[in-house]
Amino acid sequence: MTVLVSGILAASLAACGSLFFVYRKEKGRAGYLERALDAKNQRHDTTITEKITLSKKQLETAFDAITDLICALDSDLRITRVNKSYAAFVGVPIPKLLGRHCWEAFWSRAEPCDHCPAQMTFATGKPVLKHQIKMPDKDRPRYFTVATYPVLDAAGKPQNVIEHIRDSTDEKVILEQLIRSEKLASIGTMTAGIAHEMINPLSGISGTAGNMLQMPGKYGLNEKGVARVTAILDASSRASAIVKDLLHLSRKEDGTSMLMDVNSLVLKAVEAVRLKGLPSVEHKINLDTALTRVLCDPTKIQQVIINLVTNAVQSVLEKKSNLAREHRSFSGLILISTQTEDDKVRVDISDNGTGVADDIKGKIFDPFFTTRPPGEGTGLGLSICQKIVDEHQGRIFFESTESLTTFSLLLPAYRPRPESAQEFA
Amino acid sequence: MYSILIVDDEVSIRTMLLDYLEGTYEVATAENAEAAIALCDKRSFDMVISDINMPGMKGPQLLAEIKRLYPATHTVLITAYNVDDYVRLARRSGVSNIIPKTSPFNFGELDALVSGLLSGNIFGLVRYMQPQHYTLLGTFEIRSSHDAKDVREAAVELLTEKLGAAGDMRLILDEIVTNAVYHAPAFPDGTEKYEEFSDVTLAPGEYIHLECGHDGEKYGISIVDDMGRLTKDTVLFKIERQMSGEGVLDDSGRGLHMSRLFSDRMIINIAPKKRTEVILINYFSHKYRGYKPLYINEL
Repeated sequence: MTVLVSGILAASLAACGSLFFVYRKEKGRAGYLERALDAKNQRHDTTITEKITLSKKQLETAFDAITDLICALDSDLRITRVNKSYAAFVGVPIPKLLGRHCWEAFWSRAEPCDHCPAQMTFATGKPVLKHQIKMPDKDRPRYFTVATYPVLDAAGKPQNVIEHIRDSTDEKVILEQLIRSEKLASIGTMTAGIAHEMINPLSGISGTAGNMLQMPGKYGLNEKGVARVTAILDASSRASAIVKDLLHLSRKEDGTSMLMDVNSLVLKAVEAVRLKGLPSVEHKINLDTALTRVLCDPTKIQQVIINLVTNAVQSVLEKKSNLAREHRSFSGLILISTQTEDDKVRVDISDNGTGVADDIKGKIFDPFFTTRPPGEGTGLGLSICQKIVDEHQGRIFFESTESLTTFSLLLPAYRPRPESAQEFA
Repeated sequence: MYSILIVDDEVSIRTMLLDYLEGTYEVATAENAEAAIALCDKRSFDMVISDINMPGMKGPQLLAEIKRLYPATHTVLITAYNVDDYVRLARRSGVSNIIPKTSPFNFGELDALVSGLLSGNIFGLVRYMQPQHYTLLGTFEIRSSHDAKDVREAAVELLTEKLGAAGDMRLILDEIVTNAVYHAPAFPDGTEKYEEFSDVTLAPGEYIHLECGHDGEKYGISIVDDMGRLTKDTVLFKIERQMSGEGVLDDSGRGLHMSRLFSDRMIINIAPKKRTEVILINYFSHKYRGYKPLYINEL
């Protein structure tokens, strides 16, 4: 900041000084008007040349300073000028690029690219802008935005084309994420609507099926009929489970929030997992007794913790059964801890189970992603967790190595605002 | 025989309710509010059960209108949407019972609600349990603030011992019993007799009664006081206030709200100035998928 201010100051001082200088010079010249006028014309010519040189230098500096890639092409698509960034990107010094075809030098092709924007500009005399031009690469493809501008001669015909190439690979990734979250948001809204509309008939279907099973005589139902209606009831029950999960995923936060001790939620979650009837796994719970309270929807946060603990238990059990098949023993362990970390409350749930394989690390929070066999879980668990945590302005993330997987939950610790502190005390 | 009118635009729900209730009750159906009002013009009903979201006039308006025309008619809402979103609307329409359309539909609960409202026989945990499977686990009486803690612990211990689970009952009982001990007893002018968290011995005639029991699918606790100071309006107001987040930093209504949040079912029965009963129920497993209902019965 200081550097910037002093820089501006120096520039303004310099400007004032030169003004003053010009003023004195003009005053001294007043007596020799004619000669001075003549000299002035001469000086005028020199000034124009100087100015053009200066301007050229400025443009060249700008040309080279631009981090985007710029080149000038002739009608044969040969490079006539390039900037430093262009040469640096291709990895060839500027002189060695001149005269080469752009499609060969830059795009490593044997012939001009399809729908070449430079060719289009030569043909039409108009600028062309192309997004997302893909350059295949063995590691990962790169994407470029290419803009071409004509340099017209006196007759209005393009003599050269200036090609401006911008590496938009990262933008594409961000854009894709944005589109994805936008899509998810609109899918969410749509899903909520659909899910609600589904509950109505599902409730009717399962309720009617329930009636038929309760009073088969009333409906003239024989044994086979009862069996079929039982199947209907089962199917509608499965559909309801999916709809319920979808609703959780898409539902907007409805504002239930209470000041809660996260430790109590952790204990309740562990108890709830125990009650689910999962085989017990050795676990250690290490709670920070001085934990700051959190303003949250307790049932939802509890649901997140239940989900994470259940995943941990299942992961440990899975590893155990995998190793048992190889006649190796394994003792599973789950560690659960809470702590205050700056202005956040942190919950860590670690297990030494199967871990998260590298190739699925980016996917586990996606809706419907599941590693479990079809029919066991809808694959919505972690995406629901993510949504709940987002609603609480928190963060959920994980680290997984071969020996330990830790899912962490960060929730904003509650700090009473100063004006309400008194009333709160 | 009591008569019931069912209003829902979803035919499968209408027939489902009709099939289940007919025989015990005289049942008529209508597919929208206008048809329902036309039916009510011709004959009277003891109860109208209406869907909330229907084309044309919505359920809450219909029931408010019916209450205006026929004050003796019991009104109940039913919805596939989140019950919590409709508490304010229901309160404005004078409705305090909202049944969620769960899947599978919870007929036992419907039974208890409908028969309770129609007969005026609303009190008792057993009414909300499957009668043939009901097991009474224990009863307790609270006569002082000191008792309150012991009874709470004893009830939780009993549930844990017999059923292996008590859910969040310790937390909930703490709130509900505190309410009953400190906020229920009052002087005739309405001011509360006892200061919160002070040592209190209840006067003769002031009693708080606890009952625990279970059936094949759920367990429950009923907490009864003989003072009946709570009203339907107060309960609705407090719950709604906590739901909307307005009550986050104070205690008013927190107990009721938390109890509803942390149990699967909270049923509140009120005989004004005579008796208040809070029933808390947890299911052993979540068979009924859907939202939580709102059940407040006031005689």
